[in-house]
Amino acid sequence: MVNKMNVLNVNEGQTTSVQEPEPKMKAKKVNVYYGNNHALKDIDLNINPNEVTALIGPSGCGKSTFLRCLNRMNDTIESCRVEGTILLDNQNINDKKIDVVQLRARIGMVFQKPNPFPKSIYDNIAYGPRIHGIANNRGDLDEIVHSSLKKAGLWKEVHDRLDASGTSLSGGQQQRLCIARTIAIEPEVILMDEPCSALDPIATAIIEELIEDLKSRYAIVIVTHSMQQAARISQKTAFFHLGKLMEHGDTATIFTNPTHEKTKDYITGRYG
Amino acid sequence: MTRSHIVSSFDEDLEELRGKIVEMANLVARQFKDAETALVEKNLKLATAVRENDQMVDQMEQDIEKTAIELIAIRSPLADDLREIISAIKIGNALERIGDYAKNLSKRVAVLNEIDNFEANNSVICQMIEIINLMNKDVIDAYMNKASEKAISVWTRDIVVDNLYDTLFRELLTYMMENPEYITPATHLLFVAKNIERAGDHLTNIAELIYYIVEGVPLEMVRPKGDNSSEANVEFSG
Repeated sequence: MVNKMNVLNVNEGQTTSVQEPEPKMKAKKVNVYYGNNHALKDIDLNINPNEVTALIGPSGCGKSTFLRCLNRMNDTIESCRVEGTILLDNQNINDKKIDVVQLRARIGMVFQKPNPFPKSIYDNIAYGPRIHGIANNRGDLDEIVHSSLKKAGLWKEVHDRLDASGTSLSGGQQQRLCIARTIAIEPEVILMDEPCSALDPIATAIIEELIEDLKSRYAIVIVTHSMQQAARISQKTAFFHLGKLMEHGDTATIFTNPTHEKTKDYITGRYG
Repeated sequence: MTRSHIVSSFDEDLEELRGKIVEMANLVARQFKDAETALVEKNLKLATAVRENDQMVDQMEQDIEKTAIELIAIRSPLADDLREIISAIKIGNALERIGDYAKNLSKRVAVLNEIDNFEANNSVICQMIEIINLMNKDVIDAYMNKASEKAISVWTRDIVVDNLYDTLFRELLTYMMENPEYITPATHLLFVAKNIERAGDHLTNIAELIYYIVEGVPLEMVRPKGDNSSEANVEFSG
């Protein structure tokens, strides 16, 4: 027991010496119910800017539910009720005055299965800026499409066929197109729900490299079932189990010396 | 007690790795025991056997390293599994060094044999070997049972070996001052003792690794040191 205390002290020492940035998002006592099912229990979690936060845990643990709370995707589910506070820059995103469309422009989302619109590559990216009135003319729009594709690492591969259908691309390219579409409207936070689970290892590595690059501009939250992926790309890791946040901390610590027995069992592949 | 892995072959692989560590530790202990017997009984044949068996020790170290690297590649271990596998490489390394000291001891048996006017004090040497072999046994017990407390107890016990070395060092210095003819055998004996003392240090390193495997943090206590010979200075009188 004495040693566990030492661990905590060491960690506290580290957090005081390395100044933590002001969190981009803060979840406080978040509870989610699907009808009578209590899906998330008292979740307190901060999302830092310019960092990747990985949410891990077994299926049904609530990590995707939590991710969907962060840009109010759960609004679309009739039986779903969200309690508690979720702040974006200290503003409650569940406030009645908040425009959900604007909110989702600030907090973009990339899904498990690449879901490009059945439109041209160009229009896939231009769609958001058009409806949000970000671009005033064709020149602006061209610039946004160009830079978004570049930031998503897709420009070289598609620059000569922007009129081709988004769905004609490979799975990995489609996912990068979706990421380009998300960043075209200059979000502040990007949520990713298992963005690589449908991709081969090379496409996965390209997306991971992209995430590493994107974190210099955005706060990123990613749900992943791959422990190695979480270890590779995230700075903070949060472990969910049966609707509770069991443990949250520096990724290196979580994967070398987790505090909670349940975390250890999960990441090492033991019966929990 | 930690739970089993869902992939049961991972548990089997880890057991195999642990088995190799235990086997190597036992071999190293036997090497020291044999080297001691060779020294005390002036048995040159046994001394040669110890030197030859060191190849087996080296082979085992390589085998442990290979197994550990394969486990890392195949299982992508994390948390305590990762700590254990990385530490296995380092434990194998430490055991290999300890084996080298037994080999070195047995090399010196031949020279010590040739000198017959020197009644060597083997009892301190034997005592030191007995202690490090007991440390070896206990540290491996701690390893198998993931017992960090027991590892600490081995770690603190090294001071006894240090103290014995320090005592012998002073004693041998006195011999050498009495009679220059004793310088050669006494120096060899001093190296023998120093090697055993170093073996004890490596055993404490293994104890520290076991503590790290179990607790996830390095052992940060300061180990008591009993060997003051590095600061010793004996002045000739008159």
